[in-house]
Amino acid sequence: MKAMRDDLHVLTGSYALDAVSDAERGDFERHLQRCPVCEAEVRGLRETAARLALACAMTPPARMERRVLAAAYQTRQLPPLSAGRPRRAPLPSRALPSRLAFPRWPLPRWLAVLAAAASVAAAVMLGINQLSAQHQLDQARATAIARVVTAPDAHVETARVGAGGTVTVVTSAALREAVVSASGMAPLLSSRVYQVWVMSPSGARSAGLMHRSSLLAAVRPGDRIGITVEPAGGTARPTTTPVAVLPV
Amino acid sequence: MSRPEIRRWQPEPDQETLPLDLATLLSQVARGDHRAFELVYAELSGPVYGVVRQVLRDPAQSEEVAQEVLLEIWRTASRFDPDRGSATAWALTIAHRRAVDRVRSENACSRREQKAAEPEPGEDDVVETVAATLEYQRVRRCMDGLTGLQRESIELAYYSGYSYPQVAQLLGVALGTVKTRIRDGLIRMRDCMEVTW
Repeated sequence: MKAMRDDLHVLTGSYALDAVSDAERGDFERHLQRCPVCEAEVRGLRETAARLALACAMTPPARMERRVLAAAYQTRQLPPLSAGRPRRAPLPSRALPSRLAFPRWPLPRWLAVLAAAASVAAAVMLGINQLSAQHQLDQARATAIARVVTAPDAHVETARVGAGGTVTVVTSAALREAVVSASGMAPLLSSRVYQVWVMSPSGARSAGLMHRSSLLAAVRPGDRIGITVEPAGGTARPTTTPVAVLPV
Repeated sequence: MSRPEIRRWQPEPDQETLPLDLATLLSQVARGDHRAFELVYAELSGPVYGVVRQVLRDPAQSEEVAQEVLLEIWRTASRFDPDRGSATAWALTIAHRRAVDRVRSENACSRREQKAAEPEPGEDDVVETVAATLEYQRVRRCMDGLTGLQRESIELAYYSGYSYPQVAQLLGVALGTVKTRIRDGLIRMRDCMEVTW
């Protein structure tokens, strides 16, 4: 009995990584209900596994959001478990059939979309040349940014901004380039913008207005990256105290 | 040209309040709040899709499974219990388990041709990549502290979706050894990344 329990306890890691068979999972979950020590360990290991997952985050295709939201709003949600029962719902994995039918758009919607598409087609044709030029630029920029982020010598710095948000600077000394990206920054009035600066002992040079990610060229060791709030359109020199300063 | 950039930073009309943490958002989702679910989607779709894709590889299947996972998050939000772990771990456990279920329930890939086109790289991808790069570097650094066998066992089990008997076979070691290495390695990762649960 003791031997068997030890054997089961060793399974905490494999269970947290979903590396057990369905039968073993069932046995182990029954064991967990009687073993608070195992349960505590599983929690920590499951959080650890989540970090392994976060390390491979990837942007899904844009169409996925529309599909998921449309499907969700046509799907009834489960009620909470009744208060009388212990709140230990085993993770819901088998609760759904493994393949859900995602609703295709109903026909009238398609027709509406087609009609709308036809009416804007001419307008689109007019703009398409500029658009594809812009698209190529965006592609080139995205590729250049990806090159820095994935460089073997990529060095990462992050800083929290007081008013909210995070700024991350990834620098490749070999490429002499840096990528600045921001997320969750506090919204500004329409008369204000965030502006990025490369700051060196000889002064600050503008790296343009803040995008979600900006590529900075000719970055030297010892430079610092600053972000300030400036009047719309940006300025030639920083006029306010930076909300964030990061080393490269 | 600068106009869209300026507008990007303005608050949306219905978004005066700052985003809440995931656990709070999930409790709102459980009450059927669409806006909260959109925020949850924004927060979790990248990690969910990424881990599913890591295990399944095939983009079309990964998209399908990631959709199922996100829908399940909507459906079962009321079952999330903040006393038992973080919202992120709850969601990513669902994601990983579903990806593994898919691998084990079929000869992956044989069923369908790769139908979904690869998403084109854009700005959002880069932001996602930067965030993942940060987490990746942390994970990598901690992985470096493991023994070779611990590291390989964890990678084969988690990232490739193999069961521990399959891992044992691939590495040519005893079952008990793999179970122990996975557990010891994960415990070391937990301590190295200062996971607090």
